[in-house]
Amino acid sequence: MNTISEAIGFNLIVIGPTLVLVATALILLFCTITIETSDFVKKSITFVGILLTIFSVFLKFGLFATNGVSSYFTEKILLDEFSLFGNVLISLILLFNFSSIWNTSTELKDKRTEAIILTLMSASGFMLMVDSESFMMLFIGLEIGSISLYALAGINRGDLLSNEAALKYFLLGSLASCVLVYGVALIYISLSISGFYDSAIAIPYIGSENVPLTTFIGFLFVLVGLLFKVAAAPFQSWAPDVYHGSPTGYVGYMASVAKVASFLVIGRLCMVSLRYVMDNFQLFFLAVVVISIFVGSFFATVQTDMKRLIAYSGVIQSGFILSGIVSGVNGTSASLFYLTAYTIQLIGIFTIFTIISGKLSSDFSIENLSGLFVENKFLTICFSIFMLGLAGIPLTSGFISKFILITNLWSYESYVLVFILMLSTVAGFYFYLRPIWVAAIDKPETPVEQITLKRSEVLSLGVLAFATIFFGLLPDSLINLSRWVIQNYL
Amino acid sequence: MLFPLVGSLVIFMMPKSRSELFRPIAIFLSIIPFGLCLYLFSNSKSKGSFVDIHTIDWIKSYGISLTFGISGMSLLLLFLTAILMLLSFLSVSEKYSQSKGFIGSILVLHFAVNGVFLSGDLLSLFIFFEALLIPMYFLMGIWGGENRRYATIKFIIYTVFGSVFIFIGTVYAGVISYGSTGRLALDFMTLSSLSFTAEQSRVLFLMFTFGFLIKVPIFPLHTWLPDAHVEAPTAGSILLAGVLLKVGAYGVLRVSIPFFTEGFLEYKFIIAVLSVIGIIYGAIVAIAQIDIKRLIAYSSVSHMGFVMLGISAGNYLSLEGAIIQMVNHGLTTGALFMLVGFLYERRHTRRISDFGGIKATMPKYAAIFLFCSFASIGLPGLNGFVGEFMILMGSFPTYKVLSGIGAFGVVLAAIYMLWAYQRMFTGEISIKENEELVDLDTKEMISVIPLLVLMLFIGIYPSFIEGYVTQDALFISEIIDIFSGRLN
Repeated sequence: MNTISEAIGFNLIVIGPTLVLVATALILLFCTITIETSDFVKKSITFVGILLTIFSVFLKFGLFATNGVSSYFTEKILLDEFSLFGNVLISLILLFNFSSIWNTSTELKDKRTEAIILTLMSASGFMLMVDSESFMMLFIGLEIGSISLYALAGINRGDLLSNEAALKYFLLGSLASCVLVYGVALIYISLSISGFYDSAIAIPYIGSENVPLTTFIGFLFVLVGLLFKVAAAPFQSWAPDVYHGSPTGYVGYMASVAKVASFLVIGRLCMVSLRYVMDNFQLFFLAVVVISIFVGSFFATVQTDMKRLIAYSGVIQSGFILSGIVSGVNGTSASLFYLTAYTIQLIGIFTIFTIISGKLSSDFSIENLSGLFVENKFLTICFSIFMLGLAGIPLTSGFISKFILITNLWSYESYVLVFILMLSTVAGFYFYLRPIWVAAIDKPETPVEQITLKRSEVLSLGVLAFATIFFGLLPDSLINLSRWVIQNYL
Repeated sequence: MLFPLVGSLVIFMMPKSRSELFRPIAIFLSIIPFGLCLYLFSNSKSKGSFVDIHTIDWIKSYGISLTFGISGMSLLLLFLTAILMLLSFLSVSEKYSQSKGFIGSILVLHFAVNGVFLSGDLLSLFIFFEALLIPMYFLMGIWGGENRRYATIKFIIYTVFGSVFIFIGTVYAGVISYGSTGRLALDFMTLSSLSFTAEQSRVLFLMFTFGFLIKVPIFPLHTWLPDAHVEAPTAGSILLAGVLLKVGAYGVLRVSIPFFTEGFLEYKFIIAVLSVIGIIYGAIVAIAQIDIKRLIAYSSVSHMGFVMLGISAGNYLSLEGAIIQMVNHGLTTGALFMLVGFLYERRHTRRISDFGGIKATMPKYAAIFLFCSFASIGLPGLNGFVGEFMILMGSFPTYKVLSGIGAFGVVLAAIYMLWAYQRMFTGEISIKENEELVDLDTKEMISVIPLLVLMLFIGIYPSFIEGYVTQDALFISEIIDIFSGRLN
């Protein structure tokens, strides 16, 4: 028995985070359908589940310290720096979104536990996705994660926009998944490989000039499927509508978790699998980056709905992150820094939106922000910090991430790209500062009520805003972490 | 020089109910850097060219450190900043002085400006250059005039567009320095030891100078300035004209010319032509203005044109003149904006035609205004003359025709300033509301008199201020000589 489990690489710690999340979801499900349990108990169960997830991520670090980069479950699950980084980020996303997700769910009345279960399940899927070594595992993880997100987008059934968002997300998302799985199939039939490391070994073995075209098309399709998830243009069309329609409380989670997982997988693809054939993809990636920057900047300047604005800004930020990942090893480390900083700001902004707007409501026009300074000063200051961070003003993490990224891009001699990226930040100053204007400067026309914050909201917002400033002043720790992730590929 | 930041934190933490204390605390906090400047004036180091004082390791993983240092030129500009801050705190009315945000923003602005003048590496220079925008955004946005939204966004977009190029230039220089030193060393010492190729030097010069010239502003890029000045609150205009415009010229002198000299030699003629166009254009447009604040704003375009003409001529005398003119322009225009602010608080209009003959009701005000106008025109014996004379003297050997044309700017300055003075102050009182205008009170007198004293002092005894800029001007002009010698 022992030898068999050793032979197939059976190890529960590696999939620990996924298991804990699934178990928590199942316990919650059990509580809902059998015995009446109070909200407090459910909340405690969820919270303890998230904490246990973080703990199991720590256990994985312990395993990594003894085993190093290693694969498990007959080369299905991989333990490397990317997966650890992804696990940490996803569990932290879950932790910091906990207050807004829970508070939104309590407004759902009878469906409240469903939403929590869906959230936990999607997190487990994305955990699996960043852990995957074989492309099939990648697909399974992506689907578990995404299907839960489709349902989450439409959970407010009374709202037409929410229904539209769910349907749109589902149709386009499953199309993207189809493309991805078709790509996996093409790679398999052309080279008989089905994993990241398989292709990293196979491609140099047969020589990069002998790789069949089918393989390239297959990889291209896999990349397209992943780029869809990060909402890089021209695959961005779902993002604004889904962000707009979904219940505000969930959008922060939906947006950040899918981005983090997909970018880490793209990073691993570019670092590991396509290492020797990256040149063939440069034009494709360049096109995606440039189109993302232009489309995002252009549409973001004309938005009046804040959630759509953030969606288009997400398109731009995806362009930034992608430009680093595809340019080389140091660029990838810069992109990981950027990704972390961006995720922090994104969660912060959506937490604030959740507090201000009705939690289930889908519309969030820029006028909702007016009078925020009178309503709550703390919120306004946090909001300004996050927005300035997105714009890339010095002394926030946004500036450091842009500086490192641009420096790396310049040293890779992609001068034109640098100019395009930087010009988009000029446009960025226009549309990132406008909401601050509305929130902090404009006098509200109607009298406003004070907003009182829950302690959990103050805590999570405070930590996020502090992190944005902290990584802007002392970025060393995060830079070292992002370098540690890519150290093997230098 | 961290005092203003500490000050703003103190102000932001104070309860609203003690709003009457805000002004004394702010004044106290801005006296400290002012005192430090005075102390530094007596220090022997302060007369030299740039010396590093302090280095902080910042991002160790990229080998980035922040360096701070000082030179005579920086010290003069720091002093200018400190005195304008102090006086603008004195001069603002109750409405502003009791607002936490206003006082706090100005203190943050002070901190950022100090940071620019003290920074000894490109990265910290850029960071502070960009950080200037946040307090200005709030100052103009919250306390600005009618059309403030348009003006603020225009100001921000223009500046950010320029600073993008500075940013890319910084990155470029960093990558070059990484290639030869193995770390992203951007401090001035390392930069001056690097040898850039002619190509690199040209590109870098263009990037940095473009960014700084938007801030100066030079002729085709100046359109943000009148809007920003008119819409900003009085204290904002004083600081914008007095200090922020100097940041751009300071950047050209400190970064563009010494490190990328070949680029400078390549493009200096274009800069000279543009600055002469700016001198004449600014002056002619100023004549046509009906709004007194806009008039002064356009006169800034003209005066800063002189500064850039002096810089582009690039010899010892003209550089010295340019630095002195920067200080002079800060003092004069600061005082004029302050005076206009006093008038605006009384009448809530800035149209020249709304006044007329108010010398009768406000004799002290009229006298002080005339004094400042003379200083702005460049009457011998006052500060404006010193700088402009030195610039024209210095640039004449290099650009005979251009400086000849530029000299007409002085004549035009006399036309617009004196004509405006005539329309506003002399003759009979034509509008009834002006009969009850109150003359300047003690607080307002105290806040403007120090500037007048300085104008007179510099005008009569220019060698004092010259002593502080000699080394800087000498340093830059020697570098230029070396490079132009090498080219020929």
